[in-house]
Amino acid sequence: MFSLLYRMVRDRALAEDLAQETFIKVLNGIKSYRPEFKFSSWIFKIANNAAIDHLRRKSIDTLSLDGAPSAETPEQMRATSLQLGDRTESPLDEVENRELGTAIERAIARLRPEYRSCILLRHVEGYSYEEIADTLELPLGTVKTYIHRARNELRGYLEDRRD
Amino acid sequence: MTDISMHLNTDEIELWAQGLLPAARAMHLADCSLCRVEAERERKVILELVQLPKFAPRAGFADRVMAQVKVPTPSGDWTA
Repeated sequence: MFSLLYRMVRDRALAEDLAQETFIKVLNGIKSYRPEFKFSSWIFKIANNAAIDHLRRKSIDTLSLDGAPSAETPEQMRATSLQLGDRTESPLDEVENRELGTAIERAIARLRPEYRSCILLRHVEGYSYEEIADTLELPLGTVKTYIHRARNELRGYLEDRRD
Repeated sequence: MTDISMHLNTDEIELWAQGLLPAARAMHLADCSLCRVEAERERKVILELVQLPKFAPRAGFADRVMAQVKVPTPSGDWTA
């Protein structure tokens, strides 16, 4: 479950926070667990929802590299733009770069979050299509479509790299 | 019943990559260069995905979680 979260948000500390939040929700809400549902699927469902919620919030909060939307003059754009070159790499960043820096990991990061969850559950966690549909509460056909599209996109990214 | 001359669909290619494709469809694959190229490309991606490492949180993670979980006391109260 931690691997899924880490690959979804690509930040170790944040993935730990979300994993912690997931387990606390699971353990404190154990009475709401329905036994007809696979226990691990229930945990994955809560974890995935936490990751998707975070990514949605982040996409709303993200500042443009060119500056805040309200910036009208070049000076305002410069003052509100993100300065990537100023960022010093911490030891944790180095670990993340090493762990998630391979071509396949970078290709996964470029997928839409919905595709990413499905492809990770299918090929990294070994879930069946039906289990993914149950876990993510998606129709089976949608899960198949997402996985096929995700694999196509991954192939495209990886083949571009090799060309 | 699938016509033996029909190209493999994506589900069948995945089955082939897992070594689970029925013999009749495997015969088509043996004869069809289009399907072989497509299947081989798909297999490379699947292989990269299944070989991805599993990651674990830092040491002490379980303790940090349990410190925030409410546990029932003998009196029936819940404590963090």
